[in-house]
Amino acid sequence: MEKTKKLKWYHKFLAPGGMDIMFFALVLLLLGVGLVMLFSASYPYAYYKEGKSTYFFERQLYFAIAGLVAMLIVSKVKYEYFKLAAIPLLGVSLLLLVLVLFLPEPVPGFKRWIEIPGVTTFQPSEIGKLALILFCAWGMDLQHNAIISRELSKTEKAKKFNSIFADRLGGMFKITKATFPTWIYGGLTVVMCGLVFLEDHLSGTILMMGIGGLMMYIGGFKGKWFLMVLIPAFAFITLLIVYPEIMEKVSFLKDYMQERIISWLDKDYSPRGSRWQTNNALYAIGSGGFFGLGLGNSKQKFMFVSEPQNDMIFSIVCEELGFVGASLVILLFALLIWRGVVIGLKSKTRFGSYLAMGIVFQVGLQTLLNIGVATDSIPNTGISLPFFSYGGTSLMMLLFQMGMVLAVSRYSRVSKK
Amino acid sequence: MKPSDKRSGRGIKTMLSIFLACALLCGRLVYLQLIKGDYYRSKAEVQQLGDTVINAMRGTIYDRNMHVLAQSASVWLVYVNPSKVKETERDLVATGLANILGVDEETVRTKLSRTQNGYERIKGQIEKEEMEAVSKFISENKLSGKVSIDPDTKRYYPFGTFAASVIGFTGTDDVGRYGLEYQYNDTLTGTPGRIITALDGTQNAMPNQYESTYDAVQGSNLALTIDENIQHYLEEALKQSMTDTQATYAYGIVMDVKTGAILGMVSLPDYDLNAPSKLTSEELYAQIQAIENEDERSNALSNARNAQWRNRAISDSYEPGSVFKVVTVSAALEEGLVNENTPYTCTGSITYAGNTYNCWKHGGHGHETLKDLLKNSCNPFAITLAKGLGTDTFYKYFTAFGFTKNTGVDLPGEFYPTSSTYVSKEKFGTPELASYSFGQTFQVSPIQMITAVSAVANGGKLMRPYLVDSVLDAEGNTVKKTEPVTVRQVISESTAKRVVTMMEDVVATGTGRNAFVAGYHVAGKTGTSEKLTSKTEKLYIASFAGFAPANDPEVAVLIVIDEPKGDHGGGAIAAPVACDVFEKVLPYLNVEPQYSETEFQTLFAESPNLVGKSVTEAKNTAANSFKVKVVGGGTTVTRQSPEAGRTISKNGVIVLYTDQTSEAEQTTVPDFNGLTVQAANQRAIDSGLNIKISGASLTSSDIVAYRQSHPKDSKVALGTVVTVYFKTTVGVDDMAE
Repeated sequence: MEKTKKLKWYHKFLAPGGMDIMFFALVLLLLGVGLVMLFSASYPYAYYKEGKSTYFFERQLYFAIAGLVAMLIVSKVKYEYFKLAAIPLLGVSLLLLVLVLFLPEPVPGFKRWIEIPGVTTFQPSEIGKLALILFCAWGMDLQHNAIISRELSKTEKAKKFNSIFADRLGGMFKITKATFPTWIYGGLTVVMCGLVFLEDHLSGTILMMGIGGLMMYIGGFKGKWFLMVLIPAFAFITLLIVYPEIMEKVSFLKDYMQERIISWLDKDYSPRGSRWQTNNALYAIGSGGFFGLGLGNSKQKFMFVSEPQNDMIFSIVCEELGFVGASLVILLFALLIWRGVVIGLKSKTRFGSYLAMGIVFQVGLQTLLNIGVATDSIPNTGISLPFFSYGGTSLMMLLFQMGMVLAVSRYSRVSKK
Repeated sequence: MKPSDKRSGRGIKTMLSIFLACALLCGRLVYLQLIKGDYYRSKAEVQQLGDTVINAMRGTIYDRNMHVLAQSASVWLVYVNPSKVKETERDLVATGLANILGVDEETVRTKLSRTQNGYERIKGQIEKEEMEAVSKFISENKLSGKVSIDPDTKRYYPFGTFAASVIGFTGTDDVGRYGLEYQYNDTLTGTPGRIITALDGTQNAMPNQYESTYDAVQGSNLALTIDENIQHYLEEALKQSMTDTQATYAYGIVMDVKTGAILGMVSLPDYDLNAPSKLTSEELYAQIQAIENEDERSNALSNARNAQWRNRAISDSYEPGSVFKVVTVSAALEEGLVNENTPYTCTGSITYAGNTYNCWKHGGHGHETLKDLLKNSCNPFAITLAKGLGTDTFYKYFTAFGFTKNTGVDLPGEFYPTSSTYVSKEKFGTPELASYSFGQTFQVSPIQMITAVSAVANGGKLMRPYLVDSVLDAEGNTVKKTEPVTVRQVISESTAKRVVTMMEDVVATGTGRNAFVAGYHVAGKTGTSEKLTSKTEKLYIASFAGFAPANDPEVAVLIVIDEPKGDHGGGAIAAPVACDVFEKVLPYLNVEPQYSETEFQTLFAESPNLVGKSVTEAKNTAANSFKVKVVGGGTTVTRQSPEAGRTISKNGVIVLYTDQTSEAEQTTVPDFNGLTVQAANQRAIDSGLNIKISGASLTSSDIVAYRQSHPKDSKVALGTVVTVYFKTTVGVDDMAE
């Protein structure tokens, strides 16, 4: 005889199934390796700067524990309830993104942080990224039929417009049912990018653009839209590489952005200035060789690689763990993405699918850009490496999002044996 | 949810794109870590390893008696680490260091603003007091690691101007710039040591990291052939001559004829080795400062410095004039063309190959033999000898005596004969043969001339001159000893001896009489030539080359007076300088004087020992040869002046002191200027003084005193020996006016 369990009030919020153990294990593994490397990379700098070798490690550890708790709690939530947060979160993050432009700067010269005195500082763009993913996942699920529709729009104004343009100019300009959503999500992405750009936060802008674009891509929007953005962007980047002097004439690129591009193109440019950090990252990576100098044995972390606990932490990974260790770290990230994509694809709902994939692709994008910068493969933009770089709120946000993926996994077919 | 849903396809495409990017980044890692790994590692090591150089102490330069002529000492240098000096501390550091070190405050500020750098040198070669002040400044203001002190070295030349052109000097980088310091830079320079430390990005030594030290090896020391005393005698004599003759330059060399070792070498005016860039002549400096144009001014200053540093004894060249007749006579004797008694009649001029050459003596020397050629410095006779030798043979000796090459002395910047200073064998014709025979129309360097004359003194063996006797390691062990090098046998020993005898006559009775030193048998030859550098005024070079003692020559002296005012004959102005040098150098080298019987009997007597004797007894002993003066009321002689064993002039004064307490009695030195030997002697006796006669051939009747060791009217003790210098102005000319 089975006893009927008595359901408490909160049980309707909780997901019944087991979470994806593999994804969970990958998160724990990355977090563990990340914390160890953070400790190794940061202790000389922490000692010089704060007088305490474990300064960064301890703080990161507290946030990691708090983040893990948050992750486990979130993972237990029925992910359909996340939809409720889509609009409020977007509203709040837009508000914060505007607010940050007018609040005092906690770090002089950087507009991207908001300080909650006595507690922490955080970047509204971190919340903005999640808000964008969540809003897209929710909205694109809702408007899915319109998005993939090729039918002409039935509204009066659209009819009038289409009667003029639909059969001319190769059908390029016609209002379909997908047109309105395209403008909504595309427009939202542009607005958020614009706000982050106003913070002078180039890397955040690029990430935001990547996230919006990827969400629209997996959301099923027509391929031509992407080509219309990607081809000119690609052409522009090519132009910049071939004719760097053109930058002078492009007014929206600020001086520091120009300098970063110049110092990427010209490897001998200002070795003690803008290329100091990159060169020292390269020295660290090269010094690692195949097997590395061994955990804890980096020499470049002794004030050569500036702030080795932050954006350039991967170079210390390469120096201490060598090619073998660095490749394994990249492999771990790849596995995490793969597992996230699997969870998304096996999700029963489009919303869960979009959410899981959006989150892991964001992690993937950030990882690629970070390693790309550390290895001097792309210009220096200043993007942190998920799970590794120092940053409490950022780590908590990351683990929170991992919790969301795990929540999705409880309903995915993969989690069932 | 259908698997064919767009999201699955696009999701997988995105994932694969990310994987592709991951693979590309791994490929990038292969390139950076495996292919270029060594390159980046070496780059990293360069900045990770601190390489502190420990200066190696530069070797010491000693004279032949191991007196220090140049020595390095430990000093300090101050540097800052701009990357660590806070902006708020810049004023403090800049003002503080400017006050202590006397450096420009603005310069310090500029250096401090280079915050990318970990090392900016503020001042080197600071002395102990300054170092201690900086050290105190650092500790008082807690600037440790921001302002630091490192060891440095500095070169000291204890005697300043002494042998300046020979020793040379080093730059602030401790590298030899001139003279022996330059020539032997590699020998003197040690191997710097290094301290290799692990550094962090702010250029601090890393805690608990390795440090390896390689000790510095001190440079080798040089022991020169230069003798401090001889060098000093030469310098003093030449300086006196510069004052007397108002010459522009004066240079001289003293050489050991048997080895070629240079015992002294002077080029005046000289300069202070401790401040080589400071112009010795303040007058010249003022003139240069007055130049308006900045470029011209700095050019003029630079030229003046180079001129000041120039070692004219080896770098300059001049027409040797009559001194060269020694070569002509040597060649003619060696070839058997003539002997001492070969007669010649000088009519005052000779016509050869269409040119007429005058003898310096109007009307000629009349009848003479070869013995008289050098003594009279007769030009037509020299030309006749050259004519007899012919161009080929003459040129053979010209080459053999070393006039077509440099001597190879171990100094930088030696004059090397070129087509503008002499004529090559192919072009050497009869006009050259004639003019070369009496030392005109070609140039030689002083070092070439003394080397050639020394060959005659050294039994015909031409030696290579050298200045470094041995190289010593830091412990004083000889690492390398210079062996004298015989370049070639130029003339036979017997010929050489015959030439020496003729040269002795030049000093004893000829144009070189002013170089005569009683008892030392000086041989030599005078020379005078006109400089052709100036068209507006007549400029001369007077020289004397000689050696002594004639029976077994040991030391040669060359004196060149460049652009004297007034008297300009070698016999009149250069020979007395040589005399001065010989007179001091020969006794110093323990060359026994060999007075001729007449010399000794007429002039000198040795003072007897009278101390301990009773006054009466002492008087009796000394009365034969000396005048005696008794001071004090005692009965026994307790002290005498001059002391026993001194050579003083006959009839000189011996003062006897008879009690301990009596003060030495004073007397006033009279003026000897213009007096003959006899008159000077009498005046000395009258004043209760003794005189030492310097520079007079006793057979000359026309010599007069021109200088004295104690100035007139000065107070000296009774019995003091005053040296009086004599010279003659008659019969010492060797050049036509």
